Amino acid sequence: MNCQECEDYIDAYIDNELEVAATILVKQHLRGCSRCQQLLEARKAVGSLLGNPQVRFEVPDSLPGKIQSVLPASRSDVKQRSGSWFVIPWFSVSLAMAATIAVMLSLVFLNQGWIFDRSRANALAEEVVSSHVRSLLATHLFDVPSTDQHTVKPWFDGKLKFAPPVHDFSERGFRLTGGRLDYFNGREVAALVYQRNKHIINLFIWPSESGRNTAAETFTKDGYNVSHWERGGFAFWAVSDVNAEDLRAFAGLEMEQS
Amino acid sequence: MNDEQKRARFESLLLPLMNDAYNLARWLMKNQEDAEDMVQEAYLRAFRFFASFHEGTNCRSWFLRIVRNTCYTALGARELKQNQVPLDSEIDEIEDTAPLPSVSLSKKATVESVREAIAALPVDFREVVVLRELEGLSYKDISEVSGVPIGTVMSRLARARRQLYLLLADRKQDDQL
Repeated sequence: MNCQECEDYIDAYIDNELEVAATILVKQHLRGCSRCQQLLEARKAVGSLLGNPQVRFEVPDSLPGKIQSVLPASRSDVKQRSGSWFVIPWFSVSLAMAATIAVMLSLVFLNQGWIFDRSRANALAEEVVSSHVRSLLATHLFDVPSTDQHTVKPWFDGKLKFAPPVHDFSERGFRLTGGRLDYFNGREVAALVYQRNKHIINLFIWPSESGRNTAAETFTKDGYNVSHWERGGFAFWAVSDVNAEDLRAFAGLEMEQS
Repeated sequence: MNDEQKRARFESLLLPLMNDAYNLARWLMKNQEDAEDMVQEAYLRAFRFFASFHEGTNCRSWFLRIVRNTCYTALGARELKQNQVPLDSEIDEIEDTAPLPSVSLSKKATVESVREAIAALPVDFREVVVLRELEGLSYKDISEVSGVPIGTVMSRLARARRQLYLLLADRKQDDQL
């Protein structure tokens, strides 16, 4: 790493926003470069001055009241209305509560699995997207840069407990450009990197828990398109800033192969 | 969700964010009166668009984006033009590589001098500094609030910190004279 690169990364380094591999490179460079050390100190000095909590502005006393007044239906209205509970005869209260509980229970039983899957899929999507962003931010896309699937696939041997399927789709406009190890969802996963024109697609692969085959589901998360499917015993997550149509096409190609 | 539940949910999620909202508005507008108006306006907008907030996503980013956009609208095209970083200076890849003056910033720099230095930054830079240094947002959240890519967040933050260093270092030298 040279001084220019170090300078480009120094803020992300201080803010703990830099990916591990790049962090190590910055550290190595700093050890041998007094100019960049000085830069680091300057940044830290600014940071500690700004870190003084008194620099922030506190809410003026008048503001909370003003906000309550601009919002429709003030809180006191709500309180008054909820007070009307007490005029309802007690038997109807208990009846209503019993009915409510029955409905809630049935909903819980019906939806439990579904809700669980959804929130979990959401959390995974979050991780997938941030891993994609990190890989671009730190320009740490590859551990093994290669356009040859026969180089990339064996590279994973011994590094992962599974052998991810690796295919190149250059002739269909999705060029395999390399692979790397990534870590999330509490395990090591394979990340394959594809290029579509100028856009990068990260494809994350790990053994699926359900072992099912599912159709690709494509959605948008934080401005990125994400596609998820399970096939051949693996879970696949593709994420990219290519348009949704291209990502679906890519998912289709992958699914044909496995 | 009926109106009362909506209202209760809205209050429980958004009222705790009043400090963050006010601090951001105060820094963008540079005065208390305008900042209070902006925060009220932002709460009203947020209430109207509360249906578009997805439960489980980051509420703070969602609301700060509304605050930020409310402020920018009020600041208006004219003032924005004056304060915005000229486009070419942001695209310009050549960093000012002149060595930094070897002044150690005094820990005793007053709150007032630090505030003045932040206030002197162009609004785009001020925004990232406030979101990162005072609000502690991640780059991803800053990118959501300000609507610019993460790379731009990073480069603005770098330039803003450099500028702050120079401003505060100058002040230190003045103080010594």
